[in-house]
Amino acid sequence: MISAIPDALALLLTTEALLTLVLGTVLGIILGAMPGIGSTVAVAMVLPFTLSMGQAPAILLLLAVYAGSVYGGSISAILINTPGTPQSAATCFDGYPMAQRGEAGQAMGWATVASVVGGLVSAVVLLIAAPQLAALALNFGPIETFALVLLGLTCIVSVSTGSLVKGLLAGAIGIFLASVGGDPVTGQPRFTFGNWQLISGFNLLAVVIGIFALSEVFVRASKKADEISELAQFRGIVIPRWRDWTGRKKNLAKSVLIGNVIGVLPGTGAATAAFISYAEGKRSSPNRDAFGTGEPDGIVSSEAANNAVTGGALVPTMALGIPGDAITAVMLATLTLHGITPGFRLMEDNPTLIAAIFAGFFIINLLLLPLGMGLARVAAPILRMREGFMMTGVVLLCGVGIYFVRGNPFDLLVMGFAGVFGFILRRQGVPMAPLVIGMVLGPTLELTLRQGLILTRGDMTSFATDHPIAGVLFVITALALAFPIVRGTLARRRLSKTT
Amino acid sequence: MNYVSVTTGVISLILSAGAAVAEFPERPINLIAPFNAGGGTDLLLRGLAPHFAEAIGGDVFVSNMAGGSGTVAASALQGQRADGYQLGYFSITVSTIQPQIRDVPYGVDSWTPICSVAASPTLLFTSADLPYMSAEDVVAAVKANPGALVYGSSGAGAMTHLTTVAAFAGLDIIDDMVHLPFQGSGPAVQALTAGTIQFFGDTEILMQRGDFRPLMVFNNERLETYPDVPTAAEAGIEAPLNELYLWGGLFAPAGVEPEVVAKLESACEEAVSSDGFNEFAANSGTVINYRGASEFDAFFRAQYEANSVLIEAAGLN
Repeated sequence: MISAIPDALALLLTTEALLTLVLGTVLGIILGAMPGIGSTVAVAMVLPFTLSMGQAPAILLLLAVYAGSVYGGSISAILINTPGTPQSAATCFDGYPMAQRGEAGQAMGWATVASVVGGLVSAVVLLIAAPQLAALALNFGPIETFALVLLGLTCIVSVSTGSLVKGLLAGAIGIFLASVGGDPVTGQPRFTFGNWQLISGFNLLAVVIGIFALSEVFVRASKKADEISELAQFRGIVIPRWRDWTGRKKNLAKSVLIGNVIGVLPGTGAATAAFISYAEGKRSSPNRDAFGTGEPDGIVSSEAANNAVTGGALVPTMALGIPGDAITAVMLATLTLHGITPGFRLMEDNPTLIAAIFAGFFIINLLLLPLGMGLARVAAPILRMREGFMMTGVVLLCGVGIYFVRGNPFDLLVMGFAGVFGFILRRQGVPMAPLVIGMVLGPTLELTLRQGLILTRGDMTSFATDHPIAGVLFVITALALAFPIVRGTLARRRLSKTT
Repeated sequence: MNYVSVTTGVISLILSAGAAVAEFPERPINLIAPFNAGGGTDLLLRGLAPHFAEAIGGDVFVSNMAGGSGTVAASALQGQRADGYQLGYFSITVSTIQPQIRDVPYGVDSWTPICSVAASPTLLFTSADLPYMSAEDVVAAVKANPGALVYGSSGAGAMTHLTTVAAFAGLDIIDDMVHLPFQGSGPAVQALTAGTIQFFGDTEILMQRGDFRPLMVFNNERLETYPDVPTAAEAGIEAPLNELYLWGGLFAPAGVEPEVVAKLESACEEAVSSDGFNEFAANSGTVINYRGASEFDAFFRAQYEANSVLIEAAGLN
């Protein structure tokens, strides 16, 4: 792979290719920042343009939009508490509180640097070890995925600010909402009450945006004029200085690692990575107590991990010709249209093209920093609008984004109800994040659990005994749950001894 | 308002209504892909759309309405006005299988079929690492160790599921095998590579994704690309389970005027036979299969009936 790099660079260092990278990244950031569009739709939107392009520029354009959109999702998460994509939901937890404190520029700075580092490291890993990592991905069957998703669910505990019981309840509601629609094994509709609109369940993005963004608008609208907190003051990205990273580098490294590993594994994705990384950060970071109140480490955990996933997800795609998610599936389809059969011989047969893709991916991540800063400067005046206009704009943007994806008015209804529901839950002090985590992870949890039960003929103990990787993950899950209890007990005992 | 203006108004309305048929299309035609943008169906429609627009002499745009294995789009289209401005591209599963296994508001009589566009035979295949060289090997292995072998699918009721069901029900071993559904062909292909499942069925283009060995093809004759692979009939599978094609075509809601159908049909024929679309099809592995409106209608109704046998074999009813 590395020997093909000189040829690959010749392919990359053309005006067409470089222009493609810049335009694609800019477009990706903008689309990712629009609530409701999401990475999959962003990539699909530019797909028609790739049909008339060469092989390498076509794939590079899709990659640039993909990486840009994952980063762009953090912009709206931080500034208006609306994750542009589900994978940046965890960025809201600390990004928005920071912005409310008037540190929106700093929060964006942390998110940008973490994204760039996450993306760059994953590009290097991709270049060096794609075939080896792909072999690892093959060891990950339904049972292993189930164990990993179960671990992801433990982060409900981490993000349940206030009451743990209410957090668990919200998580359960999320999992239940996700179970509406087609049964993953039989395909039969469940909980639809004969309404065909519900055959495919609730649109995840519509619920996420309703819960986060619309409920925020309702909360603001319900306050009296003198109670309203200032909107995020934002004048551009403030890059954290080197000394600001003191005590945070370990968290960054860990988050990048988590993102890379989870990205390689099939069927999990960037949202899971961001949640698990956030939970791990909250467990181990020296600043863990401040998580959820606007702590940079929280933003770093989420953003470094979800951007590291982008490179990881390309590993099985390029090395095995097997798409890891809907986005990489679109990329493989594009290769097909350009006369390349994606498959297990993809890397052997097209070493130059693949090396160009990997190297291009590295450049895209380098571009995120200047392009992100430039776009933020352009966007800053928009965010200084009066609150009334701003909130109207948020509602409009969310509505257009959600309607655009499927052209289905029912999704708007779902978004509206989710907004009201979110507003009620907020009034009762129920945290929103566990609900979203339950909804994102629920379908994979159920599918892989039931696949596992089919494979083991209903014997759940063999999940752990016959599948060592899953067994280890189960142990980690148990430790993750026990850790806060043990630490709390120890702390209390120490406290009672000293007094 | 006097009588003269009302009368002229009414007359001009009638005239313009008459002219609407004569001048179809007056506004853009919407082609609906029932799956996400970027998927196979979406790409095919986007490949077809410019040629269809050129043939019909108007604007054509593609929109996506994913969900419920394509049934959300079909359910939505079924209730729309039958004016020919909204067409869905539905596959064998969306149009003939799903309405027979799920509670959806459409059925065999909900449509005005316009034309079929593509049809690819499916194959049953196994991993090249596994010892099964033929259908007999599979039967012997299942008989020797009932309940041990697993076949995958991209979802219950999907084409991939029906292919494996046709094979194993046709060989009369399905009750001694295990079905493991995945969400989409990608994860299932990965599971076949990893050894989690032993068999999968899909079209030729998908089979080439991995190091797989075809066992039979559900076609009326052997494929040129795989002359050594027997047809399902040769492998011992009796009609109607021996032929399976992943076909798709354009549907409008029931009750479109014959003049409009004729225009859409001839535009479809022109688009499907255009050089541009043929080049696209060659690149994307699409097997073009054009049928006109009346022929497609008869074919669609026959398939609807025939597939009830498969649905019963799969235990989906």
